[in-house]
Amino acid sequence: MAANNQFDALVVGSGMSGGWAAKELTEKGLKTLVLERGRDIRHVTDYTTALKDPWQLPHNNRATNADRAAQPIQSTLYLYDQSTKQHFVNDLRHPYEQAQPFNWYRGYHVGGRSLMWARHVFRYSDLDFSANQREGVGVDWPIRYADIAPWYEHVERFIGASGENSGLPQLPAQILQPPFEMNALEKHIRGHLAENFGGERKLICSATAVLSREHNGRGPCQGRNQCARGCPFSAYFSSNGVTLPAAAVTGNLTLQPDAVVHSLIYHEGKNRVTGVRVVDANTRKTTEYFAKVVFLCASTLNSTALLLNTRSARFPNGLGNDSGELGHNLMDHHNGGGATASYSGLSDRYYRGRRATSMYIPRFRNVGKREDKFMRGYGYEVYTSRGSWTRGIGGTDFGADFKNEITRPGGWDLYMEGYGETLPYHDNRMWLSPDKVDSWDMPIIQLSMTYRDNERAMAKQMMDDAVEMMQAAKLDNVAGFNNPVTPGSVIHEMGTARMGRDPKTSILNAYNQVHSVPNVFVTDGSFMVSSPTQNPSLTYMAMTARAANHAVELLKRGEL
Amino acid sequence: MTDRRSFLRGASVLMGHAAFGQVMTAFAAAPRKATFFTDLEMVQLRALVDVILPATDSPAASAADTHYFIDLAIPACASAAAQKTFREGLKALGKKRFANIAPAEQVALLKARAAADEELPYDQSFFKILKDYTLTGYFLSEVGATQALAYERVPGGFQGDVPLKPDQKAWAI
Repeated sequence: MAANNQFDALVVGSGMSGGWAAKELTEKGLKTLVLERGRDIRHVTDYTTALKDPWQLPHNNRATNADRAAQPIQSTLYLYDQSTKQHFVNDLRHPYEQAQPFNWYRGYHVGGRSLMWARHVFRYSDLDFSANQREGVGVDWPIRYADIAPWYEHVERFIGASGENSGLPQLPAQILQPPFEMNALEKHIRGHLAENFGGERKLICSATAVLSREHNGRGPCQGRNQCARGCPFSAYFSSNGVTLPAAAVTGNLTLQPDAVVHSLIYHEGKNRVTGVRVVDANTRKTTEYFAKVVFLCASTLNSTALLLNTRSARFPNGLGNDSGELGHNLMDHHNGGGATASYSGLSDRYYRGRRATSMYIPRFRNVGKREDKFMRGYGYEVYTSRGSWTRGIGGTDFGADFKNEITRPGGWDLYMEGYGETLPYHDNRMWLSPDKVDSWDMPIIQLSMTYRDNERAMAKQMMDDAVEMMQAAKLDNVAGFNNPVTPGSVIHEMGTARMGRDPKTSILNAYNQVHSVPNVFVTDGSFMVSSPTQNPSLTYMAMTARAANHAVELLKRGEL
Repeated sequence: MTDRRSFLRGASVLMGHAAFGQVMTAFAAAPRKATFFTDLEMVQLRALVDVILPATDSPAASAADTHYFIDLAIPACASAAAQKTFREGLKALGKKRFANIAPAEQVALLKARAAADEELPYDQSFFKILKDYTLTGYFLSEVGATQALAYERVPGGFQGDVPLKPDQKAWAI
């Protein structure tokens, strides 16, 4: 550890954003301390379940009652099983309160949720960045596509991603390796969409941070589709496998796990944050660390909690909260609308390996013309496969014929769901409990978020459009669904410390700096001003890299 | 069952009758002594899993110790209500000496049970619980995954569109 706990830069959090902050800052020569609240998970070495067969896992990979008791929220996630449960928090040790139902899925360990994410990486376009201004919603993004485009490219070249460029302006072209191949049914659907929707609705292979080719000594993907266990082949992007190792080789990185940041140390005379207070996760001993610049990358709700928990005479309502917007405008996507279908043809086609991504139908609503019923839009993730043995679990059949039937591939099935944009509402928000603290003396986060009329109208259309497209593709048994969604469930929680042009209505400026305390940067999902349809992680990474390079420039000029 | 989970995890499937040897399994190495069910219940259970998944071109469920899987998994994974339902269901069949009656009679009894349970919620349906655990226990066992189905731990990549060979087995995961 450095003398007097003094560094050039502090990074709070080691996940998607923290890893990028660490890489950029250390590569520019800054002695950087990364503080991670959870345990260390070393790349490959600590992926304890990665190569286990189903029968080597407890109860053939089935979660137990004890698992669900310790992780009542986490265990509801589609990814959760015996092979992944160690990558999710114990909900009892890490409580939060739901004024409205909110599923908060978390991984407190080195790498954060970059270890278990769904790996879709799309760019936003000016349709997204200008939407709030165009429609008079919330505040305007202080950046446009031209500001971030070079940083998208910077990130894509380093992380390596595969997939297909759509050729649609609302989904800008990316640096991509060749896509994973479509199966026979997906090719069939793609053809029918092209015939019926004039090029506006397309099926493409999702841009995914999974390597289809070797890249910088990593990958390619071995077709296991068990990414959330950690990848021994380094074939998908994680902080553990990609950015943190790059930061480490500079010799400028210090990584401190088990370090729960409690609050920032604010010096009113200098109007700077001079460091952070850390509670040891195990001993609860408090230590202070100091630096010229601080990056908050602790994830959307936790970074805002740190700002709210840093109160002073100058900032009685939380650091940087002159606008009163801190904690507000919480968003997540919603994915309740979609369709299922089957297909009896193509029975002589199959596939080999387990593809670690979905197909995708890019947004087509509110692109060319403005819809009457709702603002913004949605893209679809599309999953297809042939029936497996699991189709035998239901029903009353059994015996030899039954066994022969379900041990052969069944017919084709399709499942697709839309990922819709949610508008920023001031009263969708988080705040800190006035009287309850967790084991590290940190006030407990309270959450209140609901979807509104715009999201409900959109979800209905998500269902109807899915049905229309699958009928056009001549699939069988097409059935729409429009299920209620608990906020948080898409795990794209964002907002609460939004960027903006005006300090009176926003927390951060165009470079993710706290307007009023310029040596604090917030570069996780907290900064989001709206919630564009596309998956957000690529934008978090690009904005982090951009902010880190800006911070280095300001330091060089003596302006921090 | 169609949901995002099954499509993300279970539905992509694999290929080839993988020669899959060397794997040591904690399950197979465990002593074959029941922990939850009585000896009599285990006799019934063994007969039941084999009526559901008998020997065909692959071994029967009991050859994969599916009844021992159920003995461990039911107390660990099933809800209290489902555990109660399951135990009572075994008891009801035990009265009729399920393990000792003729195969045709076993099938008839289980068919009647399946029909009677069809409209019941999962936790109240002996047949639904039995089938769920029997299939999970067998098809995700080494015997079930590699002999009744096809399994590749590391497929080595992804081929999206290949011909289905005659009588090809479905992928286990």
